[in-house]
Amino acid sequence: MGLYLKLVGVQIRSQMRYRSQFVLDTLALLLVTGLEYASLALVFERFKSIQGWSLAEVAFLYGLVEMAFGLTDMIFGGFDAPRFGRFIRQGSFDQMMLRPIGITLQVLGSDFNLKRFGKMAVGVVIFSYALSHLSITWTVAKLLYFPLVVLGLVLFFGGLFIIGATIIFWTVESTEVMNIFTYGGSFMMSYPMNIYETWLRNLFTFVVPAIFLNYYPALFFLGKPDPFNFPAFAPFLAPLAGLAVFLISLGFWRFGLKHYQSTGS
Amino acid sequence: MESIIRVDGLAKHFSVRKHYKGRFAPLKNFFTREASTVKAVDDLNFEINPGELVGYLGPNGAGKSTTLKMLTGLLVPSHGEVRVSGFNPWKERKAYVRHIGAVFGQRTTLWWDLPVVESLELLKYVYHIPEARFRENLSHFIDLLELSPFLGTPVRALSLGQRMRADLCAALLHDPRLLFLDEPTIGLDVVAKERIRDFIKYLNQERKTTVILTTHDLADVQKLCQRIMIIDQGKLLFDGGLERLQERFGGKRQLIVDFAEHYPDVHVAQAQLKDYQNRRAIYEFDRRELSASELIGQVSSQFQIQDLTVREPDIEATIRNIYEKQLLKVPET
Repeated sequence: MGLYLKLVGVQIRSQMRYRSQFVLDTLALLLVTGLEYASLALVFERFKSIQGWSLAEVAFLYGLVEMAFGLTDMIFGGFDAPRFGRFIRQGSFDQMMLRPIGITLQVLGSDFNLKRFGKMAVGVVIFSYALSHLSITWTVAKLLYFPLVVLGLVLFFGGLFIIGATIIFWTVESTEVMNIFTYGGSFMMSYPMNIYETWLRNLFTFVVPAIFLNYYPALFFLGKPDPFNFPAFAPFLAPLAGLAVFLISLGFWRFGLKHYQSTGS
Repeated sequence: MESIIRVDGLAKHFSVRKHYKGRFAPLKNFFTREASTVKAVDDLNFEINPGELVGYLGPNGAGKSTTLKMLTGLLVPSHGEVRVSGFNPWKERKAYVRHIGAVFGQRTTLWWDLPVVESLELLKYVYHIPEARFRENLSHFIDLLELSPFLGTPVRALSLGQRMRADLCAALLHDPRLLFLDEPTIGLDVVAKERIRDFIKYLNQERKTTVILTTHDLADVQKLCQRIMIIDQGKLLFDGGLERLQERFGGKRQLIVDFAEHYPDVHVAQAQLKDYQNRRAIYEFDRRELSASELIGQVSSQFQIQDLTVREPDIEATIRNIYEKQLLKVPET
């Protein structure tokens, strides 16, 4: 852990050397995500609600996912597929294997990206907007459960990042396929799952258990009825679903490492 | 003496996808998975003793890097055994790499955006080097490698030579007994090369570090290596000292004589007269047949000599000889 903090410290100090770039990147991110949300607000201006979800309710979901994704992107940036692909091709990964510390820890500590503060900040702003326009009764259970949902989301997205990086052990080039799950997934999860076609929702329920990480917890916090009649514990699966995806991804990662050691590509 | 590296029947086979050529080649390449096997390294056997300085040579694609990758634990062999300092490199990676240092040519182990000194400090934690030992080694290497002028410079701003020196320092702070160097002098100017060579020599002689290096620069070999291994097409073709290499494969020695006066015919019995003009004759002779003093005796008994030199075949010519004429031809299998 001490070593991890040291490695992260390196990243932060390195990024501080490019201060103007950091500021510009953060501003750009703020602008892009802000515009994305503004266009959503314009749609709501006309329709008032989407399948029973008001703008403020969608903002709750959107802000939650955005915050968690920003946090994931910051912590698990080393596993970001294009970056990790560059790592492998340039031989930096081999350098990691020559150090007497865990590979996973090193990859984790190889890119702690402060820029993602921008994305998180947007999430926080949108989430605050949601809170101010909704009258959620914050019970003790809800207060205690909220951080667990964020944790579940971070583990879930982190797992997807790790799977994306692992695929690079075989393809070497980074593939766009994983972006469908990471960036595409986070985008989909920013909206209530009941607006999607059944097959797509099933995909994000039974193949990738995303629905338990955003939609169901949101139903619980917002006190909305469940249109799909899942068992009553469905909203509380978030930390478990996140952990499951994360552990599976770690297993796959280990398998990928072995493959890399036997082929060198 | 207990060997520090033992390699038995080491082999690495890669499966390479077949590539079609022609009209629908891209399509075919995309859909077929026909593969052929390439034997990058095939049945290597050798031992290296503590304190040796070994040059590992071979043309491009001969299997040098693949061997180094297996010795450092980056690659798992297809067959065979490797023991280095009692470790199996790929099974006990974390424990093993603590005992070795490695500098892989063009790649740096340092953190790109950090000043050199901060990268080095970080390695103290990575390798758990005791503070006192770390300070001692650091100041020592800073002196020897003349790192002071650029200690505060970010690694990305270093010249190639500076970076190589910084990387050498980084690879040695934890007192490894064994050092792997893949092309340590590649791309450096003459002065920088010389500095690196001096340092490697110091490590081997003073610190008794075992060094294995690959290089294409034969001056490295000539100045540093007591032992040479030549690999080609995955097989070890030669393993021995520089002298034995020249004895077996070297060109002939030359005796260059300037005569005191002009003689019409300067032929002697056992040596071949290669060239003769302006009173200077060049004789070629084989060290196995004739010693230099014997030849000189012969020549001086017949002619008046003003000056003479014996020229040894250089290592460069020797190895070029081997590669070009394929003297050590790999037996067909």
